[in-house]
Amino acid sequence: MRQQYAIRSLILVIGFAIVGLAVLAQMIRIQNSEQAKVFISHGDQYSGEFNMFYPERGEIYDRNGHLLAGNRTVYEVGVSLNQMSNPTALSAVLSTYLGKTYDEVYNQLTNSPEEWEYIVVQDYVGDETVMALQGIMQQYETGGDDSLNGLGFRPHFQRSYPESALASNVLGFVTRDGRGYFGIEEKYNDLLAGNPVQVWVPTDPNKANEIPRVPNGTTLVLTLHRDLQAKVETILDQALSNYGAENGAIIVMDPRKGDILAMATTPRLDLNNYSNYFDLFDNGSQYNPAIGMAYEAGSVVKILTMAAALDTGTVTPQTTFIDTGSIEVGGITIRNWNRQPWGQQNMTECLQHSLNVCLAWISSEMGPQAFYGYMERFGLGHQTGIDLSGEALGRLKVPGDTDWYPVDLGTNAFGQGVTITPLQLLMSATAIANDGKMVTPHVLYAMLRDGHQYNVPSQYAGSPIRAETARTLTEMLSISLEQESSLALLPGYRLAGKTGTAQIPTEFGYNQSQTNASFIGWGPVDDPQFMIYVWLYKPSASIWSSETASPVFSQVAEQTVIMLNIPPDMVRDQYGSR
Amino acid sequence: MQVQATQLIHAYKQAPWRVQRQYVGAFLLIVIGAAMIAALYLQVTARAARAGREIQEMRVQITAIQRANADLETQLARLTSSAEMQRRAQALGYRPVKPGELDYVAIPGYVPPEPAILRAAEDAGYFPQPVPAEYTQSLLEWFDERIRAGVIR
Repeated sequence: MRQQYAIRSLILVIGFAIVGLAVLAQMIRIQNSEQAKVFISHGDQYSGEFNMFYPERGEIYDRNGHLLAGNRTVYEVGVSLNQMSNPTALSAVLSTYLGKTYDEVYNQLTNSPEEWEYIVVQDYVGDETVMALQGIMQQYETGGDDSLNGLGFRPHFQRSYPESALASNVLGFVTRDGRGYFGIEEKYNDLLAGNPVQVWVPTDPNKANEIPRVPNGTTLVLTLHRDLQAKVETILDQALSNYGAENGAIIVMDPRKGDILAMATTPRLDLNNYSNYFDLFDNGSQYNPAIGMAYEAGSVVKILTMAAALDTGTVTPQTTFIDTGSIEVGGITIRNWNRQPWGQQNMTECLQHSLNVCLAWISSEMGPQAFYGYMERFGLGHQTGIDLSGEALGRLKVPGDTDWYPVDLGTNAFGQGVTITPLQLLMSATAIANDGKMVTPHVLYAMLRDGHQYNVPSQYAGSPIRAETARTLTEMLSISLEQESSLALLPGYRLAGKTGTAQIPTEFGYNQSQTNASFIGWGPVDDPQFMIYVWLYKPSASIWSSETASPVFSQVAEQTVIMLNIPPDMVRDQYGSR
Repeated sequence: MQVQATQLIHAYKQAPWRVQRQYVGAFLLIVIGAAMIAALYLQVTARAARAGREIQEMRVQITAIQRANADLETQLARLTSSAEMQRRAQALGYRPVKPGELDYVAIPGYVPPEPAILRAAEDAGYFPQPVPAEYTQSLLEWFDERIRAGVIR
């Protein structure tokens, strides 16, 4: 009996073992069969997909944390063609909301190539439209109607500028392909855009960790003061209207650090509608004339000539010059702006009355080597190195150049025959306002990345003149402004500055009736905290900068002291902060 | 006494049902052990899969929240833009101040506050951590890691 039981048990065990082994063998056979390889390759196709992860473009803020450039979500509206059941209904709904004709949408949906599985009907659709479409979809689904099957929305970012056209010349813009053009957007495009990462995204949840972190683009904080920028733009627009100027630029800078606080130009582009670019500008240099257009600035250059003459010891403030109304340099006669003699003048009066003859005499006394040496050191004919794209070079002819003539030594001294951008002269003048030290203008204040802040330090750009020279010239310019009872003066604040009226060169010589009116000034004189450059192109109300650019300077200075909390000189004296 | 002991051993050896029971017991022990390991493996794998799926969903949520944040930030900036603030101020009866209307008070040691954006950058300490290995590795990988680490001897 026992033996019989044992045999039965053995048979059962062997039976189960054979079945088990058969199952195992079959599993191994199936796993390694040719068909299995096909199934596996099919499965691999659905195990994930290559996705390109684009980081969010870095934002741009002003120095007080106001957002100047951000991002907003827009949608790509598309249809999965293999899920589409009713192209007629889809075309009707989409044409209503997307501003396309029914036929246009219908053709897109029905005449696409056969191998296409998905078609983009429209991109950059706003969230209001998408929400409306989603509402319609929900109504269809609730009613059990599958006519809108296949309709889908893919969100992505689009650049957005909350301030529209404010500081558009500084910011630049980003096109739909994600590339920055002009200004900060172009200069720092790589930093702002970040690094897109292409990764294989598995559908297997066990492999979720393989999706890398894509850091956002670097956020930039600019030196711009948003509210001052807005005020300066308003003042510029009013000035163009009041004085009938064709164009203009105003720059406000901190001469101690080179921070650009405001940079206004016209025309300005609404950055949210950058496609209007070609309606406003003929070429790229017009986008930001403050840095992109070099022009003959005229008498504002006299401050550099005087600085060089004082520094070399060619003249002192007390040096006198008998102005006969003309002087011959290189065989050509140079005359004053009013073609009149001014008699005996000291150097302060030469600046006050803006005497071409006096300045031409000074440069002649210095000689070309010393004069052009100083102009080079002041950076004329070179880019300032500001961190904005599209900076023009300007031109300073020097002895040895084929188009340089001996008379240029005289005319260059009062700003004729030398082209500069407003920013170049501003940078040169920082040496006068800043005890001889010249600083490179910059727009970037700080960079923010991964929770860390990197401040951009001020860049020293050399000392073309001595500190003593700078202080002496500042005093001379301040006195000349006060004695002239200039419209540039600001009650309560002692300022230094210089006008510049330059006839515009044409192919037939200088146009007597059209000028570039400029003014450069800074203050408070004892502790310069702002430096302002005003440029009006072809003012028609008056050709003289003393009647056009000077009052504009005063208005900008008034707003600057308010916005930057700079107390009047008397108050600073009272509190001993001078 | 010695004869008696030999007889007992002989009797025990001659009881085959005892031997069979031992074999069956050992087999069952192996089967139960394997089942337990399989169950444990299945449970760990299922948990990892669930956690992985949650991570994927959270990533989608993070992306959506980041988009919403960016949208709200831009919307806020639009509502507080320079032109809009001026318009609202004028509607409330304010007008631009003139230099003579300002009073200045000197406060020794006063340092103007830093812009909020810069403060936020200094405080920011959030860095997404990689998903811990516990959520991704298999049981065998875990054993392997522990053995290599010398924890299991």
